[in-house]
Amino acid sequence: MSLPVVALWIAAACVPLVVHNAYLMNGLILACIYGTAAQAWNLLGGYGGQLSFGHAVFFGAGAYTSTLLLVSARVSPWAGMWAGAAVAAAVALIVGYPTFRLRRHYFALATLALAELVRIVVLNWPAVGGAVGLYLPVRLLGRTDAMMWRTKPPYYELALALLAVACALAWLVDRTRLGLYLRAVDQDEGAAQALGVPARRYKLLAIGLSAALTALAGSVFAQYVLYIDPSTVLDSSRSVLFAVMALLGGRGTVIGPVLGAGFLTLVSQYAGGALGGLGRGYDYVVYGLAIMIVAVYEPRGLAGLAARFRRARGVPAVEPQADGGSGGPAARHDAGPPVLDVRDLAKHFGGVQALRGVTLDVKRGEIVGVLGPNGAGKSTLFDCVTGFVTPSGGRVTLRGGDGSLDGRPAEITGRGPAWIAQQGLARTFQLMRVFPALTAMDNLLVGQEHRGESLLASLTPSPPAARLRGAELLHLVGLAEHVGTPASALSYGQQKLLSLAMALMRRPRLVLLDEPVAGVNLTVIERIKAHIRAQNAAGVTFLIIEHNMDVVMELADRLYFLAEGRVVTEGPPDAIQRNEEVLRLYYGR
Amino acid sequence: MELFLAAAVGGLVMGLIYALVSLGLGLIWGVMDVINFAHAEYMMLAMYAMFFANRWFGLTPPGGLVVIVPFAFVAGVVTYRVLIRRVVQAPPVTQIFTTFGLLFFLRYLAFAAFGPNYRGIAWPAASGTVVIAGVPVGGEKVAAALAALATYALLHAWLQGTKTGKALQATAQNPVAALALGIEVERMYALAWGLSIATAAVAGVFLLPFYQASPTVADAFVLIAFASVVLGGFGSLLGPLVGGVAIGLIEGIAGTLLSPTFKLVFVFAAFLLVLFVRPTGLLGRETP
Repeated sequence: MSLPVVALWIAAACVPLVVHNAYLMNGLILACIYGTAAQAWNLLGGYGGQLSFGHAVFFGAGAYTSTLLLVSARVSPWAGMWAGAAVAAAVALIVGYPTFRLRRHYFALATLALAELVRIVVLNWPAVGGAVGLYLPVRLLGRTDAMMWRTKPPYYELALALLAVACALAWLVDRTRLGLYLRAVDQDEGAAQALGVPARRYKLLAIGLSAALTALAGSVFAQYVLYIDPSTVLDSSRSVLFAVMALLGGRGTVIGPVLGAGFLTLVSQYAGGALGGLGRGYDYVVYGLAIMIVAVYEPRGLAGLAARFRRARGVPAVEPQADGGSGGPAARHDAGPPVLDVRDLAKHFGGVQALRGVTLDVKRGEIVGVLGPNGAGKSTLFDCVTGFVTPSGGRVTLRGGDGSLDGRPAEITGRGPAWIAQQGLARTFQLMRVFPALTAMDNLLVGQEHRGESLLASLTPSPPAARLRGAELLHLVGLAEHVGTPASALSYGQQKLLSLAMALMRRPRLVLLDEPVAGVNLTVIERIKAHIRAQNAAGVTFLIIEHNMDVVMELADRLYFLAEGRVVTEGPPDAIQRNEEVLRLYYGR
Repeated sequence: MELFLAAAVGGLVMGLIYALVSLGLGLIWGVMDVINFAHAEYMMLAMYAMFFANRWFGLTPPGGLVVIVPFAFVAGVVTYRVLIRRVVQAPPVTQIFTTFGLLFFLRYLAFAAFGPNYRGIAWPAASGTVVIAGVPVGGEKVAAALAALATYALLHAWLQGTKTGKALQATAQNPVAALALGIEVERMYALAWGLSIATAAVAGVFLLPFYQASPTVADAFVLIAFASVVLGGFGSLLGPLVGGVAIGLIEGIAGTLLSPTFKLVFVFAAFLLVLFVRPTGLLGRETP
């Protein structure tokens, strides 16, 4: 952490020495508490793109747990707040686990429903105070071991320390693999999974951390205001406030939620005084308006606004090492043992039979092409093999999947896409999918090796070996000078090359390419062809769907011809080209 | 048994009204894949409009309908043109935030304008009771349920029977193809928003005689509407109708037989259960 940042925190800690105005101190304490909750929200909603409108539940879990423990069991809040954090994290995981499978709309809705449900239950549950709420024992005021003081500065220092912890955590996420993976999942979850990123695991980690941190803020809030009830800690407007602070300040940045919390708390405290005569509603009208304006015009918030005035930082170029060749060169055409074994694969969507028992195999070192008219089931075949679609019948086996060259065969039928990808199988998509807001290098780093990557490892930066591999591949596909360019700023052909490089990042043994040269010009076609050949010579096996006949004929050792969900014929390219049925089905002759 | 029947009939009637509130939400969700978190806020505004139409001009729901629904249609079109159009292509996060901001804006605007008090109207012409399957039901509720059925029938006939209706369906299925075929997708979206908000207004107008308006009245309805759409499934008008009736029955039966205080808890619990177990809804086909 840089010196100015440390100096800023020390200066913030010294504020009570200068400020003696109780009204302002109150505003600062609340800003720190809300800022912590907003930062916690940001971990999940900002980095992971999972919008929660129910963070009041976690805030309330902290407030209620520590307070109940203090009131009825005389447990010090210093311990009780951790119990609250554990309760909140448990609730978060229970909600997150089923909903993170679904599109993010559903998660937002589930949090909204959960918040209402919890509020109504607590409101009608006398044991936890019901509608009356809970008073903290004021006789303990002034006792540090009960986290209760008669003056504001101790509360301020505590809240500030909590905010510092929250910011440190956000800073950690921002700088490490976890942040990178969360951003990738936010931008395109399917593409991230295809690169082996276990998306749900990282979303669960994010929501667990987020809920626990929010609960800590809730405990401190209860200790400060000394009275809690459903309308102060569980109200939906509380959930919205945290989200708005993070959004307004700039979601997905470390500084954003702090800016947003400081701005909104102080503005509403002072403007609230000015608008107060008009009734409680006006500040919320302004919040609503602010959310809409920010969402439409500057989705990056105040932090993004500031960034507009700064020049983009230069990205240090990474020098690739001399191309030492990757992987041991395996002799081509030695028809090694099968790598991929597909048996009787079937898939129907409702009444539509997309695959009717496809059987094919790919041997190590081969380039196998899949041909067929539109609607033959080629992409469905890829989706079934890579786990994006669960087959209705049949079996897919990956051999040598456990890392060793002649390892045990791994049955991958019905497994998740991330797990399958981790077995050494990579794919690209027919409609190209890169992460538009990530730099070319970060796009590649999302594709680094994920097997055996622990949760703890995800909280460290990408290892140098991965960065080196990334630089090497960028150099290889001719994008070396675009290390720091966002993928969205690359041309279509460049994005296509980038997505090929992303698939190669983990040194997979089998790569499935879905129309690798569709829509690119002749020069780029030649380059992509050359890359495939070179990688193949270096030991990578390919299964390719492609409509460009010249490319397929030139590259493939063997072809499968699919029509109406079946393998019509199989053989070397020239035989397929002369096959009567293929000519009829494909060329209409 | 009598109690159960009474709860079921009451639940069915409320369910039809929930279905009416859900209709517009499901329409926008289906046509342009945008979730309008502010949907029920428009219903709330229509309730206030009905209140003042009654106080100032002595109008009852049938008269209020004629005045308020066209305004609501325009409000929907304006919402699309001014706000939603700018985020149609934006990432889902931006869309969710935009309509959530709209929710907050409209709700607290009503709070600032009308205060926190509850307001209702009397509708003497419908104040009697109607006996359904041996269960007496308030006339206002029956009128609202009939309005819901009529709205569904009209919209269904329009979608299936007119060229514009077909064009709207085509837009929902594939906006790019629709554009290529010469359908003005922008106009279709605006139309969908107009219709969506208009149906929310129908609900608001008929709700007011037996359900008092307050700035936060949408709270219960917004979640119920989401629950109905998710429960029923996407892709047809039948989805929100089935979903709404199912929610009404859960609320009515569980609320009466188990605990009236917790009736919304049962609804939300059912909603969460559906999200967890069958997120495609009762009639849904597509994987979400």
